[in-house]
Amino acid sequence: MIFAHASSAPFSLSILIWLPLALALVCAALPARVTGRALAALSLLPLALAVTFVANFNSSYPFPQFVTDHSWIPSLGIHYALAMNGLNVSLVLLTTVLFTVSLAWSALRDIERPRLYYFWLGLAESAVLGAFLAQDLILFVAFFDLMLIPFYFLVGSWGSGERVRATIKMVIYTAVGSFLMLAAAIATGVIAAGDHHTALNFTFGALEHLPVSRTDGEWLFLGFAVAFLVKMPVVPFHGWLADAYKSMPIPAVAVFSGVVAKVASYGFLQIVLPLFPQASHHFQVLMLIIALVSILWATAMAFTTRDVRLVIAYSSVAQMGFILLGIFSLQAPGAQGALLQMLNHGLVTAAAFFIVAAVAARSGGSERMDDMGGIAFRAPLLATLFLIVTLANLAMPGSSNFIGEFMILLGTFQSHLAIALIASLGVVGAAFYGLRLFIGAMHNRVGGRVQSFEIKRSEAIAIVPLCLIILVLAFYPQFGLSRSQASVNLAIAPATTSAFRGSQSAAALLPTFASLDGPAGWWAYPLLAGVSHSLPGKPRRIYTYTTASSGSGSGQ
Amino acid sequence: MSPTTWGWLVLLFPLLGTITIGLGFRTYSRAAGVIGTAAIFLAFVCSVGALIALLGRTGTHREVVSSLWNYDVSAGVDAKLQILIDPISVFMMLVVSGVSTLIHLYSTAYMRSDKGYSRYFAYLNFFVLSMLVLVTGGNFIMLIIGWAFVGAASYLLISFWYRRSTATRAGIKAFVINVLGDVGLVLGTFFIYRHTHTVSFLGSFAAAPHVFHTDSPDLVAGCLLFLVGAFAKSAQVPLHTWLPDAMEGPTPVSSLIHAATMVTAGVYLIVRLHPLFQLAPTAAEVGAIVGCMTLLIAGTIALVVTDIKRVIAYSTMSQIGYMIMGASSGAYAGALFHLMTHAFFKALLFMGAGSIIGAMAGEQSLDRMSGFRKALPFTFICFLAGGLALSGVPPFAGWFSKDDILAFMDHRGGIYEVLGILGYVGAFLTGAYTFRLIFRAFYGEPSPEARELEHGHLAHAEVHRNPANGEEEDTDVGFPGPEHVIAEREPAMKVAMGILAILALVGGFVQVAGVDAVISKFLATAFVHTPLASPADQPSVGFDWIGLVVGAIVGLLGIGVAYRVYIAKPGTSAALQARFAALHNFLVHKWYFDELIDVVVVRPALTLGRFAQAVLERVFISGALTGGVTGIVRSGSAAVRRAQTGLLRLYAGAVVLGLTAVVLYFLISAK
Repeated sequence: MIFAHASSAPFSLSILIWLPLALALVCAALPARVTGRALAALSLLPLALAVTFVANFNSSYPFPQFVTDHSWIPSLGIHYALAMNGLNVSLVLLTTVLFTVSLAWSALRDIERPRLYYFWLGLAESAVLGAFLAQDLILFVAFFDLMLIPFYFLVGSWGSGERVRATIKMVIYTAVGSFLMLAAAIATGVIAAGDHHTALNFTFGALEHLPVSRTDGEWLFLGFAVAFLVKMPVVPFHGWLADAYKSMPIPAVAVFSGVVAKVASYGFLQIVLPLFPQASHHFQVLMLIIALVSILWATAMAFTTRDVRLVIAYSSVAQMGFILLGIFSLQAPGAQGALLQMLNHGLVTAAAFFIVAAVAARSGGSERMDDMGGIAFRAPLLATLFLIVTLANLAMPGSSNFIGEFMILLGTFQSHLAIALIASLGVVGAAFYGLRLFIGAMHNRVGGRVQSFEIKRSEAIAIVPLCLIILVLAFYPQFGLSRSQASVNLAIAPATTSAFRGSQSAAALLPTFASLDGPAGWWAYPLLAGVSHSLPGKPRRIYTYTTASSGSGSGQ
Repeated sequence: MSPTTWGWLVLLFPLLGTITIGLGFRTYSRAAGVIGTAAIFLAFVCSVGALIALLGRTGTHREVVSSLWNYDVSAGVDAKLQILIDPISVFMMLVVSGVSTLIHLYSTAYMRSDKGYSRYFAYLNFFVLSMLVLVTGGNFIMLIIGWAFVGAASYLLISFWYRRSTATRAGIKAFVINVLGDVGLVLGTFFIYRHTHTVSFLGSFAAAPHVFHTDSPDLVAGCLLFLVGAFAKSAQVPLHTWLPDAMEGPTPVSSLIHAATMVTAGVYLIVRLHPLFQLAPTAAEVGAIVGCMTLLIAGTIALVVTDIKRVIAYSTMSQIGYMIMGASSGAYAGALFHLMTHAFFKALLFMGAGSIIGAMAGEQSLDRMSGFRKALPFTFICFLAGGLALSGVPPFAGWFSKDDILAFMDHRGGIYEVLGILGYVGAFLTGAYTFRLIFRAFYGEPSPEARELEHGHLAHAEVHRNPANGEEEDTDVGFPGPEHVIAEREPAMKVAMGILAILALVGGFVQVAGVDAVISKFLATAFVHTPLASPADQPSVGFDWIGLVVGAIVGLLGIGVAYRVYIAKPGTSAALQARFAALHNFLVHKWYFDELIDVVVVRPALTLGRFAQAVLERVFISGALTGGVTGIVRSGSAAVRRAQTGLLRLYAGAVVLGLTAVVLYFLISAK
């Protein structure tokens, strides 16, 4: 590596990944009544570990850091490869934060069969962390599928309402996506190895230098895309969402929409864009339209539903639409905004679900807006926290969410102006349904079944920390942006250049390069080899230098 | 200290005030008002400090930028947490913090019996903070943040009495329309950023002449989108419908929204972005025309509205119309001058209205009030001073400032001359509706409440009803509490109103054609590069005075008409209503803007939502898609259907087992 240095951490990332599961197993051995509290307290350990990694993370270094790479199944070229980069650094932190508050929330409540419940939550955390940190395609798929299992049981056994129906829908939807992705993942490795006459290797680093052909890339792209779009979810792949979110226990739905859904959008940036740049460009408009439809559709749904939890659920779909929009703007601001928004939305949506539970506890257990109203008067603190979350959720300027949305729309504006203009309608819509929800629950006359009281310790333990983080990020959104910038540029550059290859002129390529951070952009891009000779002056020198010295970019 | 240090302090005090009051709301009782007022007063003191620091500098040294940290610096965007202190922002800081201090002072008395006293002052401080962020922000992002904060703060205060359904509805309306404005600002920023590659004001202004030619399409698009923001915030047609409804908030809030903060933001925006608007004359013309339309439409509506606060609200719309029109035509100093004097007399009028409403025990309808001249002597004097200033009667402040705008426009010629002349028609309407208000409220036979007050008893309602819909008030949440307040009995209110009354009288003397030009001279460095700032573009002293005389005559004419209709020949009003029933109805329905927006925007959106909910979601998503996917499993024989649940369990079990095996394998093989 030639320009910056990866920093080292005192621990292996494996410890971070498997610690939650190990802790859950240990706590399962304890008496059932202390399992929850012990695990909640101990879950500060993975959180502290994640903080250590983030603190040691070198923001200016765009490549994987804290690398763990073992050959796992040598005959199939599958590696147990883990690493942190700018794409997953803040998401890993978010995961540990959300699981900690969810465990704390659960620990202060009576849970049936606590040992099993906490085991599933611990497994879920390990799976999510694994999916974020995996640097091998097959390992990623394994973790991605592993994530489903704890939630299958959490909905099926601890869920409410029509939980069987919800489970069936969720599993069938995501299983179909997962199968397609597994097939695509295997095919990617096999085709890449076949095309380039190399040994099978599924690590991201290797596959980035073994581009598949344009036609292969297109169907492989679709395999991954379906799995991710279902998991996010976006319209029209969201059929499972309403039932599943309605049935999940609150801590589970908080982490599910907070981070599990983010694994999918993260997958686009980490896997799809770098590995299938031409296909990403080919399907760009399709994906943008899916994103746009999600934004508008989900906004319209959130307008009219009377169910508080579903308002948050649909607002998540709209936000995932924005994130998808940013990623497939194939522009640096859009992707940066999308990544920041994953962090923001994870915090906000989790906080919102906890608040829904708090509000429901004050309106006789009902989650219908008609049964609510006037809660603010006896619960001013809760109302204030709810207001903070509401304003952040509707991306009010001054919140970090606004910067995310601003960057997303800017990126979209740069690539497809009309789509950005239409998407901005979603911002206005969010203001309406967000405030409608807040007012419906907290203001107006006191609802028929409402017995309001101030926020309790068992509620504050989850809501207050999240609100504090939201407030801090509001003053300093740069926290997310500066860590991801270098890696985002690296991740989108192949697709971006591919987007410009349509016009083929080197002059058209230059503005894209200008937005890349120094030589990083050229290092890994064999795609550029064909045009390097037509690049003028400085860019060509950098390109030649980097490809020559790293020894990996040339010859493709 | 440097001007920017003062600038940061100006922001710091209201922030501290908001946080202190917000965190300790349980422990304070009266202290919240003191803390709130002191915080804003300190902000005013620091604004004066910034002014002095700035006056010690000359020319371009009067533009100072300061940044705290990177806010959104990535992918080419260069937004820092940044303020820009220059004559424009210092001017705005002074007006905002100065008038807000008086409104806070007034509120300490007016809101005394409100149960949400601390909450009120936390919101009020936040409101002023937002406005100060807006006027000091050094780049588009900071501007947008202040812009949206103002919207949020106004929402909080408009629906302050949140048990009123009318208040929550008005709040959400104000907020959503303002978000529309925010979006306009964001998209406008994109159009400018696309060419200038910076979001900082000074950078954009420096680059603009090089990357845009006159009326470049992108520049015009950007400026028009900025105007959308300005119209939404400044309540210009057709985005004005939130403003009259915003009267649901406590009266001092109306005073704050209409005088010092919020609605003046649009004027500030156009003045701040004048280097861009100068390059986009088409957009500037649109701004001027809409401003002119608004001032006329609002003036006509104000003639028929019977709610005392709404009359003043429409008057604000109309006056802001003057400012938007002036700022768009290039009368920057004039627009800001009028912004200042308007802040004085409009704050005063609302305070006076608050006092009358107090005397009426919460009643706001003009139909029920009359003859308060003797019962409320102090309020009457103040209200009269405000009314005369608003109507542009010499030598009150409004007379000078309104003419500053109109004379400039008439001098500039072309379409601007036409608009300027229409501005005089507006001046006539202003005189008429203002004195209709004064004559109806203060003259004539004293109403029962006024008579009671003359005997020393403040009227008190047994049951409080929402003036808007007659619903019984929920006094749990606050006002109206057990006692009402009038300025005559409250020193704090008296002081605030007294100061503003004096300012309404003498505030115009700072800029008298041919005598002095304090404001133009102070602001001059900010506009030094604009084409319209050359001496040849300024009307001559003689021209100015002709305008002043015409303005005075027209205003007095309006007052005369009101006198004839309401004093000399009572009953004329009813006769006119009967004679022009259709027109009256049209005006009473506020030109049907609410109905129009309802039909064009609100209903289609909700219908679409319900349609999506009821039909598409159920049939298409749940039916076809889920049916399609699950249908693979479901369709066919009943046996398959029965087996499905078992199959699923088997599947999940297999996955668990398989993965466990894989994990074990890994644990063993990877040492």
